[in-house]
Amino acid sequence: MRNLDYLEPESLDEALRMLADYGDEAAVFAGGTALLLAMRQRMLAPGIVVALGGLSALRGIGYTPEAGLRIGALSRHSEIARADIVREHYPVLAKVAAGLANPQVRNQGTIGGNLCYGDPATDPPSVLVALDAELEIAGRSGTRRVAMADFLVDYFTTALEPGEILTAIHLPPVTPGRVGHYKRHLRTPAEHRPVANVALTLTERGGLWDDVRLVIGAATPVAQSMARAAAALTGQAITLDLAAEAARIAAEDLTPVSDARGSAAFRRQVVRATVRRIVAEAAGLDWSEAAA
Amino acid sequence: METSAIGQARPQINAREKVLGRARYAGDLKLAGMLHARLLRAPHAHARIVSVDTSAARALAGVRAVATGADVPDRRWGVGHKQQHVLARGVVRFVGEEVAAVVAETPEIAEEALDLIRVEYEELAPLLDPALSLDPGVPQVHEGGNLSEEINIDRGDVDAAFAGADLIHEETYTTHSQYPGYMEPMATLAEVDGAGRLNVWTSTQSVFLARQRLAEALDRPISSIRVIQPTVGGGFGGKIIEERSSVIAAFLATLVDRPVRLGLSRLDDILSGCFSVPATIRLKMGMTRDGTIVAKEVDILADCGAYAGLAGEVMTVTAMRSDNMQRIRNIRTRARLVYTHTMPRGAFRGFGGAQMSFALNSHMATMAEMLGLDVIELHRKNAIGPGETSVHDWKIGSCELPACLDQVSEAIGWGEKRSRAKAGGVLRRGVGMAAAMHVSGNRTIGNWDGSTILLKVNEDGRAVVHTGESDMGQGAFTMLAQICAETLGIPVAHVTVAAPDTDNSPYCIGTLASRVTINGGMAMVKAAEEARATILAAAAAKLGCDAEDLALVDGVIRSADGAHTAPLAEICRYHIYRHGGEGIYVKGSHDPQTVRFDGDFRGNIAPAYSFAAQAVEVEVDTETGQVRLVETYLSDDCGVAINPLAVHGQSNGAAVQALGWTLYEELHFEGGRVINGNLADYTMATADAVPMMHSMIVEGYEPNGPLGAKGASETAILPGAAAIANAVYDAIGVRITDLPITPEKILAGLAELEEASLA
Repeated sequence: MRNLDYLEPESLDEALRMLADYGDEAAVFAGGTALLLAMRQRMLAPGIVVALGGLSALRGIGYTPEAGLRIGALSRHSEIARADIVREHYPVLAKVAAGLANPQVRNQGTIGGNLCYGDPATDPPSVLVALDAELEIAGRSGTRRVAMADFLVDYFTTALEPGEILTAIHLPPVTPGRVGHYKRHLRTPAEHRPVANVALTLTERGGLWDDVRLVIGAATPVAQSMARAAAALTGQAITLDLAAEAARIAAEDLTPVSDARGSAAFRRQVVRATVRRIVAEAAGLDWSEAAA
Repeated sequence: METSAIGQARPQINAREKVLGRARYAGDLKLAGMLHARLLRAPHAHARIVSVDTSAARALAGVRAVATGADVPDRRWGVGHKQQHVLARGVVRFVGEEVAAVVAETPEIAEEALDLIRVEYEELAPLLDPALSLDPGVPQVHEGGNLSEEINIDRGDVDAAFAGADLIHEETYTTHSQYPGYMEPMATLAEVDGAGRLNVWTSTQSVFLARQRLAEALDRPISSIRVIQPTVGGGFGGKIIEERSSVIAAFLATLVDRPVRLGLSRLDDILSGCFSVPATIRLKMGMTRDGTIVAKEVDILADCGAYAGLAGEVMTVTAMRSDNMQRIRNIRTRARLVYTHTMPRGAFRGFGGAQMSFALNSHMATMAEMLGLDVIELHRKNAIGPGETSVHDWKIGSCELPACLDQVSEAIGWGEKRSRAKAGGVLRRGVGMAAAMHVSGNRTIGNWDGSTILLKVNEDGRAVVHTGESDMGQGAFTMLAQICAETLGIPVAHVTVAAPDTDNSPYCIGTLASRVTINGGMAMVKAAEEARATILAAAAAKLGCDAEDLALVDGVIRSADGAHTAPLAEICRYHIYRHGGEGIYVKGSHDPQTVRFDGDFRGNIAPAYSFAAQAVEVEVDTETGQVRLVETYLSDDCGVAINPLAVHGQSNGAAVQALGWTLYEELHFEGGRVINGNLADYTMATADAVPMMHSMIVEGYEPNGPLGAKGASETAILPGAAAIANAVYDAIGVRITDLPITPEKILAGLAELEEASLA
């Protein structure tokens, strides 16, 4: 590991100035779970590390009925999992955070670091897309907001411009009847990175589903919204057959990644099974007896 | 008064220092002026080294030495085949082979210097597939061809026996390579002291084998080297004599006048570790209608990678060990070990037994079904028993295999679960079982398998045990302390086991082949008995009575009538004073009455044999192909369990390692390069990936073992893979014959079944 300068800005402005000054040479350190691994494996060798730990503006989790939820980008996964307001208003997000990777990563890794790294084999992106999250991004010329879906550009690529810092994640206020569901599939119980995950949000009206979001993560280069499958589930009585049909559509529309942890065909199969199950479970149906 | 020192669950005597973080591993050790080493590895599977330019690395401030293949001794080292230089010379034969090494003042400088070494390679075509290794015209790994070893065994009249069989079944099974995955990556501290001796602290399973190998590889007299064993964080076979980093570290220490430490990162350890031997096994078996095995034909192709190491011995075990578990007389076996341009493979817990156990037990389950028999009955019917001599002339002493079968089948509810109606749902459950045997000891190199203990009883009546057998975490020191305490008549807490040190410990082979309890334990009994006799004689002299009337119990000497009594410490001091200062210092040696294999692989190589059976329940997700182990019951026949807690720990650990091999772990290669050489992508079982584990013990009494004990729990790694594969078959009707059992294979098998049912 080559020598590096470890900078600890005390304000967001100072951090942004450092990034502007050092450009490509600088790497941002949030929780470090990904950065340090990459550095140890010599995939990254930054000359400057800008550690954000001292920026209190990037911490804290708060909720107001008007603005919804704000999660500081430096919030650790375990903090999100434990936060009462998250558990109360967005239980699905708390559940995702509570089961992410492994305890070491949950206790050290941050939600902001997770999103900026752009690794597809993780849980937060799909559920945040399904929850209509927006990201608050600070740059030298000011702050902008980007929809979660637009933030994810490609495999390990985000909409973050050089010199920008992700400061917070915003979720819209909770509306009555809106619920969320989430399922991750690990290739084996020994894996800590999902091969696929599915997030489902919907509003129940008179026993039917409305405003359905079905988003697939980990099996795709970036979290993928399944509009056709979601449409199929909208305004219809949910049956096992319909769940299977939505699963079939989702699998068909999927743009899967293919690598050592799962071929495209395997990912498609897993997504199909997982979508069927999440839909069935959301409708209170038992999927275990009837195979699709 | 303390009850018996053996037979009770007892924490390991070195557990406390480990959990407190006080145990010292090789990577913890520091000597004044210590330097740090790092290794440069080959990026190609097969290449000629055209040139190496180390000038820039040498010029870096803080670098003390840079070594390449040109600097190392000409003499090659190896187990049987002398094939390796300390650093690659002329040619690299696998991705990761060590090409150069840097010694520097800090690990960071050493790391940086690696980047400054320029190696020019001429890439050569590699041989990566063992199945092609013997074809004409393929790349040669070594001069003399790609066949490293071949063994042929022919017993009875195989053709006639097959002709008389009612059922013949043939199948090919493939097994893959597993990383030993010990907690402690390899680490070594080495120095040449002022007197010119090479002192080496290294994570090893055998200080004396380590010393012998260093003498050979560094081409220097054995006695010019001292190897000391610090605490070892697991070995599983990988730290016997095949890992390479300790040899390189010791060599580097000879280049500089300061101590050198080489501690491998996990990534480095995986690249230079010793993975198990992958084998393809064609198995053909004939049975009569009642399930009697009448004939067996086996053809094995095993891959040792670039260097043979212990892989030939491992393959021999794959080829013939399981034959001895059953009353079979007609066997024809061919086994071939071939080279490829991949990482060297070798010793691994079970030493080749797991590969064949997968094939044999899968086969047994298949044939049982064909014959309409219960597989447990099939095992019982063919199981060898106490007092019998096997087809390869193994003399079976204690054997509780039938009791192991009873225990696991009862515990899991075998009959009930086997006969339950098959549900048609998405998640389907099934049960499977397997049985296996292992040696306790193995007479090989040098035609001996002995062990010696030096026992010192101090002037306060407490004992120090000196042994060259190592504790790599499995509990050898606790076992010796318990046997010493029991035999001598003192509390376990009064026994200290000194760390193996080639200058001070008696010569021993070390920890392999489940030999330490049975052979080291017997030496311990003998040493403790002699110490006890010496003490009682001294006591008799002091107390004015007959030694035969005296007993030593819990640190106190007493005559049968209670008239004479003395604390042990008093007698120990008395002995020293009355013998001109000579303390109680005795030696016990034990070499079991075994023989080496003859040229035809016959002979009783071990003083005892251990057996095990395992039954598991799995749940298969027919949509995702995921197999979940629901529950496992493992029964170990280890003779008298000296320490049941240690046996359960070892058995459960073995079952987990087998689970990893079967379902979770798989090396992925690209052009000979391991692409998942880290623990995020090479996924060993973690705590949350392990089901409810049940370990059970069938206690027999082994007449050749110390206090009735024999080797425990290495057998326990053998049945897991087949038990799981058999349970998967029971659940969904898909027979997986190539490990690991991946979700893709399950899905493909289900699709095939579906197609067949539609056809």
